[in-house]
Amino acid sequence: MDALERRIADLRAEVRRAVKAREHSLARSLRGELRRMEHEWDRAVGAEELPAPEPEAPLLPIREQVHQALALLGVPAAPKLIVAVNDAFFSRALRGSQFTSLRRDEERSFRSDPYARPYYLCSALTDRLSPARGLLAVSTWAPELRVLGPLSPRVDFLTSAVRVAEHLARLPEPPPGAVRLLTRMAQNIPGAAEGFAPADPVTAIRAARAELEVHRAADAAQRAEVAARAGRLLPDVERLFGAAALGALRGAAC
Amino acid sequence: MRGRLDELRGPVPPRAHDARAIAALAANPGCARRAVLDAAGVDKDLTARHVGFPAPFGQSQFAITRGNVFEALVKENGCAELLRLLRELLGLPIAQVGYQDVESVGSHLRHSHTRALIDRAAREGDDAAVFYDHPLLSLRIAGQTSYLEPDVVAFQVGGRFHIVEIKSFAVIDGQAEPEKVAAAARQAAVYVLALRALLADLGHDPERVSHDVVLVCPENFANRPVATLVDVRRQLAVLRRQLDRMTRVDHLVEELPPGITFDLAPDSEGTPTRPAREVAGALRQVPARYAPDCLSTCDMCMFCRDEARCGGSTDQLGRQVRDQLGGVLGVDEALALAEGAAEPAEGQEEIAQLLRLAHRLREECLG
Repeated sequence: MDALERRIADLRAEVRRAVKAREHSLARSLRGELRRMEHEWDRAVGAEELPAPEPEAPLLPIREQVHQALALLGVPAAPKLIVAVNDAFFSRALRGSQFTSLRRDEERSFRSDPYARPYYLCSALTDRLSPARGLLAVSTWAPELRVLGPLSPRVDFLTSAVRVAEHLARLPEPPPGAVRLLTRMAQNIPGAAEGFAPADPVTAIRAARAELEVHRAADAAQRAEVAARAGRLLPDVERLFGAAALGALRGAAC
Repeated sequence: MRGRLDELRGPVPPRAHDARAIAALAANPGCARRAVLDAAGVDKDLTARHVGFPAPFGQSQFAITRGNVFEALVKENGCAELLRLLRELLGLPIAQVGYQDVESVGSHLRHSHTRALIDRAAREGDDAAVFYDHPLLSLRIAGQTSYLEPDVVAFQVGGRFHIVEIKSFAVIDGQAEPEKVAAAARQAAVYVLALRALLADLGHDPERVSHDVVLVCPENFANRPVATLVDVRRQLAVLRRQLDRMTRVDHLVEELPPGITFDLAPDSEGTPTRPAREVAGALRQVPARYAPDCLSTCDMCMFCRDEARCGGSTDQLGRQVRDQLGGVLGVDEALALAEGAAEPAEGQEEIAQLLRLAHRLREECLG
């Protein structure tokens, strides 16, 4: 690289001399040489800039990628968080716009051939047993995990922060994107992060667990009640995808 | 009455009021034109454009997107950001983290669901949810029910409800643009009033809705939200008084000449086909009260300003000047008094003296 730059500088000086001496043919050939060198220099710089190969297009289908992120989080999550987790830890190829028809497709598949797949991406249910807006869950989770009480959004947020921090602590070289994700989450948990400094997974876990302790019992009781009601009142498909009374709205809520 | 209003509007569905419109309505309660057009649900923007006076304002698509993104950021993960802000600002206890998304019931049930949830929260107190996301409140304005969507209603441990208003204008170094804060406060005051009306309707103490609203804005040049308490007592008092006093619209409509209509006769694609002169003629039959403030709040502002200018009315100079020029009919008369071309009539002596003084000073400075 340095040699190339020296050569380019020399060539420029020679071109200048040749032009001054009105040796046109020499100047032309020197210019050609200079252009070749510059081209090579461009290529060398480009190679240095991109040492890592382009991230490969993921081989997994979208639902597998979503499942991967949800499995890491372990609680119902919004597409935005799923994309953030995918970006931080996995393929980085998931986009929010790919979620639009996901849940509807899953529901259609389940209706036509129930339990044919090992898992389905389904809705989290509100305390009115309707599908919660914009939250995805996995059908193999316990029913209590797939329903929401009033405290559940907070509990799920804290749980997912703990899960992200645990996963981060397991990695020998935590990716910077993942640290940023945890920092962003930790900033909203009391005592988990200081100012804008990168969050420490151990502190974050401790702080999130401390707040979880406060809510856990009440939330578990509320969720158990809703889950029992869902189990009693709803047929299989609605237990996963929400009560049919609001079926017309499901498309809009997806 | 409803039939008469439908007739005024023509065969199109009425436009609903939102909180901005109500705040603006209260800002100029004496304007009969605006009151009638709003009560009939006329599309003022389309009308103004059709008669050749498009309003130069309106929110840009970029601003709307920016606002929505910021609101989503504040509310994501069960209002995690908002929770942090309220814990810092109001000392919300750690245990109070409930969250109810009212929108989960679907749009046609949202209002009744909001009512039920607020009723339960008011009766049970502490263990009810803290955040009510996407609530739908209603307020009766000039004989019409308007539906309002506050950003969030928060419930505090002290048993008081707080309205949370999320705005995407930046607070830089602890300062925000006063105009924008004032507009946000007026809008939040409308929500406070609607929530108080709801509580009173349910038989609870309306004072349980705090007059301090929580304003959430981005801080400095980053996207990190910051919350401040804004006292809207003054805006509330103004709003309540003006809504009460607001000229009753049926009274106004009765005085209109029979057969008048603001129908634009839109074709199948919604393009108005009625001659603009006819529409403008109909509009002129309803008296307006133009003030320069209208320029930032009303779609019809350019039309009314043109009218005020052509008519030489003192309204165009602003409320303060208009009030000072109490007994003077128009700009021409004021100028005549100032230049001494006209003799002051009885009761005009004082203002004539002032005008002459002003004229003499101007002549000395510029002449």
